[in-house]
Amino acid sequence: MNKSWRWLAVIIIIVAVLAPLIPQLIWSFTFRWYFPSLLPGVWGTQAWEYVFSKSSRVGEGLINSLNLALVTSLFSIAVGLPAARALALYEFRGKSLVEWLLMVPIIVPGIVVIMGIHILFIRYRLTGTFLGVMLIHLIPCIPYMILVMSGVFANYGTALEDTARTLGASSLQTFWYVTLPGILPGLLVATMFTFLISWSQYVTTFLIGGGRIITLPLVLFPFIGGANHAAAAAISLVFVAPALAVLIFISRSLATESSIMGGFGRL
Amino acid sequence: MTTVTLQHLTRRFGNVAAVNALSLEIQSGEMVAFLGPSGCGKTTTLRMIVGLLLPSGGDILFDGKSMLTVPTEKRGAVMVFQKHLLFPTLTIAQNVGFGLRMRGLPQNEIAARVTEMLELVHLPGFENRRAHELSGGQQQRVALARGLIIRPRVLLLDEPLANLDANLRLEMRELIRSIQQELKITSIFVTHDQEEAVMLADRVALMFDGVLQQFDAPRVFYERPLNAAIARFYRSENFLSGIKRGSQVETALGTLRVTSSDAQPDGPVLLTVRPEDVAIGAGPDNNRITAKVTAVVYMGTHTQLQLNVDGRAWRAEGPADFTAQPGDTLSVHLPDKRIWLLPTES
Amino acid sequence: MQRLHLIEKLRVPLMLAPSLLILTLLFVGGLVVGLGQSLGYMPVIGLNNFTLRHYVDVLTDNNFLQSLWVTFRIAFFSTLFSTVLAVAFALILRETFVGSQLSTFMFQVPLPIPHLVAANGIVLLVTQSGLIARLLATVGLLNSPSDFPVLVFDRAGIAIILTYLWKEVPFIGLVVLAVLKSVGPEFEELARTLGAGRWQRFWFVLMPLILPGIVSTSIIVFAFIFASYEIPLLLGVRFPTTLPVWAFNNYRDPDLNLRPEAMAVSIILTVISIILLVAYRRLARYAVTA
Repeated sequence: MNKSWRWLAVIIIIVAVLAPLIPQLIWSFTFRWYFPSLLPGVWGTQAWEYVFSKSSRVGEGLINSLNLALVTSLFSIAVGLPAARALALYEFRGKSLVEWLLMVPIIVPGIVVIMGIHILFIRYRLTGTFLGVMLIHLIPCIPYMILVMSGVFANYGTALEDTARTLGASSLQTFWYVTLPGILPGLLVATMFTFLISWSQYVTTFLIGGGRIITLPLVLFPFIGGANHAAAAAISLVFVAPALAVLIFISRSLATESSIMGGFGRL
Repeated sequence: MTTVTLQHLTRRFGNVAAVNALSLEIQSGEMVAFLGPSGCGKTTTLRMIVGLLLPSGGDILFDGKSMLTVPTEKRGAVMVFQKHLLFPTLTIAQNVGFGLRMRGLPQNEIAARVTEMLELVHLPGFENRRAHELSGGQQQRVALARGLIIRPRVLLLDEPLANLDANLRLEMRELIRSIQQELKITSIFVTHDQEEAVMLADRVALMFDGVLQQFDAPRVFYERPLNAAIARFYRSENFLSGIKRGSQVETALGTLRVTSSDAQPDGPVLLTVRPEDVAIGAGPDNNRITAKVTAVVYMGTHTQLQLNVDGRAWRAEGPADFTAQPGDTLSVHLPDKRIWLLPTES
Repeated sequence: MQRLHLIEKLRVPLMLAPSLLILTLLFVGGLVVGLGQSLGYMPVIGLNNFTLRHYVDVLTDNNFLQSLWVTFRIAFFSTLFSTVLAVAFALILRETFVGSQLSTFMFQVPLPIPHLVAANGIVLLVTQSGLIARLLATVGLLNSPSDFPVLVFDRAGIAIILTYLWKEVPFIGLVVLAVLKSVGPEFEELARTLGAGRWQRFWFVLMPLILPGIVSTSIIVFAFIFASYEIPLLLGVRFPTTLPVWAFNNYRDPDLNLRPEAMAVSIILTVISIILLVAYRRLARYAVTA
């Protein structure tokens, strides 16, 4: 690859990635910013004061979002990990049907399903509850967990586990000392995906939460494209911070372990 | 046909010279083996010849014309890799015809030449199979056909037999040799197996640590190695130090007569005899030394003896029915025509 | 011994059961209810008879084709541009050079960021008084905000497409990058020695290897965008709306009589999406084998 092309690409990547983030950073500290000045005429922390006020419900949204994303992720691991292993390492009748069933929520638009489930949940009094919202978040989360982890399991194989067993390790010991360390980078990435999928949900939380479960996307939504740019930007930054923190943890395995992202290629 | 000339070819990785001032000339139609232990720079040299790696210094010439500025795809040097690397999405015919397709040849001509090539490598009728349906040996033959079809000026083989089991290796060796002699393509192959180099190559270039040690016909390496390291690589460690005076070498075990006395000047030398040339048991009375048996291994067709000669470990071969016990003292004969002299090791 | 056989037999079903149960219960349950409502079966408001009336209403609606076209256009161009850019960047990032680690990290940054944040950022960037307009005004290319083209709430949906590009290029790109890294350089080196030039190496060697990854990820991306609601609602024109926006607006309407229509729109949307993706996959398979 030509060197000047390479530098051009690097600059494009950095500029394009930062471009939508920088104005939000500036706006969040803005009191007045008239066109066409490049920087705000009057800086201010009003937006942040609003974010920290009770009436903004940002704090409540943050706690709900974190709780939901964590519980949904843990649930996805508990449910998805065995399924991913079964798909990766065992041959059985009807495997392609099972695979298809588990992947369907990624490929088939969920719009009908969400509205249909809304009606079901009203009947079973799950709307407006934490459990109901978590259940609806599981629909996109479990398939991603399975997709990533089946790739990781297939790549990891069973040779090391078999060796451990012949050396006298019990199945629990084998899992803890051999399997888990081997799949951990992949598991972290998969967990990040489920965390972020839950973290970003708007429509599902809006419908099933029924106004009683307020999460960050619900707080942010009405501000986007509105007049109060500063508040929109500040809430947006609160919303983005945990996501970026997560990325720093898994960035390396994302780039170096080809089996992790490669899983998406086998859909 | 093409002659290949390497002039002071050098490649450094950081401060390490993987290949250091390598100069040699390969004749048109000749088959040369780059031999050496892993990491000696032989594959690096191959990658430079084919153009996948830029030399740090020196030049590569085909028929006297420098190739440094010619990109790989225009060089006409084909490389067959250790891994067969058949394109998984293509059929065997499409794999073999790949190079011709890149040159934009018409489909029917490609098909005809593919058929011809598959016959040459003894795989007729394999056109529509896929790589994963073939055995390792068959895949390697397809890889060979894929390289040969574009009628390369130079054929480069990077450990082409390394991934094959013993029987296949023998078969493949003969196939490569017969095709090379039939097509008379200037060929270079890389190997760490000195036996393979002996059987396949017209000449062998032995490299240690990026430096060319000796470039000669295979039998020269057995009979007249240039130094002790080369002899050792050819599995002969029967050394005895001495002082050469004319056609005599004075050693701690007596004075020995040598025929090829002009190999080294008078003075301290290292004397060597290959294990198969050490005559144990009966034989002429002259040129005898005493050796202590340290181990006896029955090898089926012969018996291998490990000896202690003046504190050095020697090996010798005796007839299959030869009997001796560890601890026995033997008198062995060193035929004067079989003694070769090396410089002493520093 | 008997027990061991039983455990062996039950192992795989037990591993799969939890996921299958949750997904099929929720998914199939929701689908059945949705399908029922779209067919006019809604006992809550006293509708007990099945009818295709709502489908007919939607399909004969003057705005249906327009909405379908808007939906398709946004999803198609977002997916197409994302894929092309993703492959280009992946080809550059797979090599190691000074700054490649930083670039790869920067490339990953949009991946975890929620779509809403991306949308908010794009708005602040490309509105008529956004940062780009300010930059252009500063260098004197622009006198007033109205000289800057309308890119938000516009008919073409530029801001929507930009938002999706920013989010999806890294996703597709990282998958392609993963495939490229696992393939290694050997196949291309081999092709070079056989006389393949740069474009030939890309087209005949790399493309067949990364195509499955491209197809899978572009299917995920297209299906997601085709049915998503938030971004087109926030950044799109009021009319014509995309199909998901149409469906959700009807669904959220206090008038429950609009719900069957919402369901019918969603089901039509789903069916069209599946047909398009199946056709695309067929086409891609054909392209690989040809």
